Amino acid sequence: MTRKQDEPREGVDLARRNFLRAGIAGASAAAATTAATVAPAEAAESDAEKKKARYQETAHVKKYYATNRY
Amino acid sequence: MARMKFLCDADRCIECNACATACKNEHEVPWGINRRRVVTINDGKPGERSVSMACMHCTDAPCASVCPVSCFYTTADAVVLHSKDLCIGCGYCFYACPFGAPQYPKTGNFGSRGKMDKCTYCSGGPEEDHSQAELDKYGRNRLAEGKLPLCAEMCSTKALLAGDGDIIASIYKERVAKRGYGSGAWGWKVAYKETIAI
Repeated sequence: MTRKQDEPREGVDLARRNFLRAGIAGASAAAATTAATVAPAEAAESDAEKKKARYQETAHVKKYYATNRY
Repeated sequence: MARMKFLCDADRCIECNACATACKNEHEVPWGINRRRVVTINDGKPGERSVSMACMHCTDAPCASVCPVSCFYTTADAVVLHSKDLCIGCGYCFYACPFGAPQYPKTGNFGSRGKMDKCTYCSGGPEEDHSQAELDKYGRNRLAEGKLPLCAEMCSTKALLAGDGDIIASIYKERVAKRGYGSGAWGWKVAYKETIAI
């Protein structure tokens, strides 16, 4: 009385497992949507923006240069 | 375009370590990491010299050359920065850097090191300027505030110079012209192992 692994047991309706497949597919879709919406928020600065010059010769910086010439 | 550089006048550095302390405090650098440190040559002997060392923001940075995930980038100010979001903590940059600038916050199981940390020239990172995320990951962004790195700004003997490379070079040139050349830690004699007269 051996049963092959792939054979369903008698009286078991395998269609009941379809909700699991639907759930997994739904969760994947939701995760993909979330990632798509979150990604732009995490990338705070564009490539050009993060590489732009930030140094300014302010009065503060000029004073620093002046004091270092002593 | 101004190129940001550090220059340590070894004749003036007195090894007070205030630059390293100020850096740690300003950026809340984690335990075990020193973005800047003072190296002393011939400690306790005649001719002793101290040099304050951090990332030198190389033009052709070896750290960037070896990084397998290309997390390094050079800004228009010639500052070498990196993204901690991209860093995988492999440690290649640590071995490539001749100045020991890249540091790692931990030594964990299976060789995990955490995200690399290094001097940012007080100019933050790839996150939005002055944002909390930038402060948490990279420290304060003084350059965007119109200031210079704190280590240099608060150096009591004005040994550590920072700012536009042309301007600080002219400042150093003025000093050398006035006092004469004689530092034992820099220059031709050290590079070519000739006799040093200090």
